[in-house]
Amino acid sequence: MSLSKHLLKFNVNGKDHALVVESHERLLDVLRERLGLKGTKEGCSTGDCGICTVLMDGKLVNSCLIFAVQARNKKITTIEALGTAENLHPLQRAFMKWNACQCGFCIPAMILASKNLLDQNPSPTDEEIRNAISGILCRCTGYVKIIDAVKTAASELRR
Amino acid sequence: MFVPEDLTDLLEYLDSHQSDVHLIANGSDLINRIQRREVSPKVIADLSGLSELNYVRKDGETVKIGALTTIADLAKSPALGLRYEVFREVAAKFGAPSIRNVATVGGNICAASSSEDLLPVLLVLDAKVRLRSKFGERILPLEEFLKGKRLIDLKANEILIETIFQELDEDSACAFEKTGMRNSLIIALVSSAVYLRLDKNTRLVKDVRIAFNRVTGKIPERARLGEKTIRGKILNPQLIEETTSVLGNELRLSSDFRATSEYRHDVDCVLFKRALGRCFTRLGGHELV
Repeated sequence: MSLSKHLLKFNVNGKDHALVVESHERLLDVLRERLGLKGTKEGCSTGDCGICTVLMDGKLVNSCLIFAVQARNKKITTIEALGTAENLHPLQRAFMKWNACQCGFCIPAMILASKNLLDQNPSPTDEEIRNAISGILCRCTGYVKIIDAVKTAASELRR
Repeated sequence: MFVPEDLTDLLEYLDSHQSDVHLIANGSDLINRIQRREVSPKVIADLSGLSELNYVRKDGETVKIGALTTIADLAKSPALGLRYEVFREVAAKFGAPSIRNVATVGGNICAASSSEDLLPVLLVLDAKVRLRSKFGERILPLEEFLKGKRLIDLKANEILIETIFQELDEDSACAFEKTGMRNSLIIALVSSAVYLRLDKNTRLVKDVRIAFNRVTGKIPERARLGEKTIRGKILNPQLIEETTSVLGNELRLSSDFRATSEYRHDVDCVLFKRALGRCFTRLGGHELV
């Protein structure tokens, strides 16, 4: 294969994929345009807003700042892996309960960052929650309801 | 994009394709620069798979940090105990969690600009860099490696392997301070790091190193006149005031859309005092200023 095309084998939300990608394609482009996973949003494209955040091997990353080639052999988790319309994830339920989504654009990233936090720390303090979502900008909510929602989800998940 | 099998493969490739190859660790800096049209590399060599360069270890009295160690891994490293709280301080103010998971020590060094938060700390630790080509290695002081903004002493067939520095002993401490417009995801207006080696009984300053993200140019540098003022003297509030006035003459800061030179200068002095004060308390002292 030439230097501009690469075979990308990776796992997205539990499913193995193998596709040919161009060098310049970002992980964000492949998730949205090739795999149709539109839950991951494109915000600033410069790593400043965190809206395109996904989990790569269990770590938060900005999918706009990673070349798709670099996701080879990695496990990617996007918002589509969490819950279904009939059976929402506790975080999704809590965000609805607290009305923590206004325009909703940052919410996939907020929920993934919160899930990542709760996976490692089931009883986070307000400060720890703020720190965990500090890379994601929300221009609507002022964050207060988001933090309330994460605390509610945390207590539900602990039960 | 060239994806090497291993380090040998990469060094071989770099040697046979001397020009136009841009090295990336995880790419968080380069993608931005391509979008801003600052660079348009013909070939990118992707180092992200070279896990052999992701380590923090001690070798006798030397600490070695592999170039592909992420900022998040650096902050969590069990090899860097209480004496190295300074790395946790840098990490806490470095971008955001999603940036710290991809930004690397090597990337921060090679990006060589005033916004690389790790550089003032490595400068006061008197760090060196180890470079390797297919023909061998060379070790340079970090200060010599950084030649100017976005300018480093790296040949086309070389890569940065690791940064190394002497262990902090029980009389030494190090601290970092940064001020930006907000707490996360922000480029430093100013940042400062201080290394202090002190005779705890007499408060005699056995050694000191001071760095800012800018001193005379637009890259992190040591403030040697400031250092000279303190070194070999007894640490007290008067000496610190003396030093800040020396720094006033030494710092040649420019204004830009982020801050004026006057603002940078005033805040630099405050950050220097805070960092020095924290070194002092880390060595068991009480409030200094």
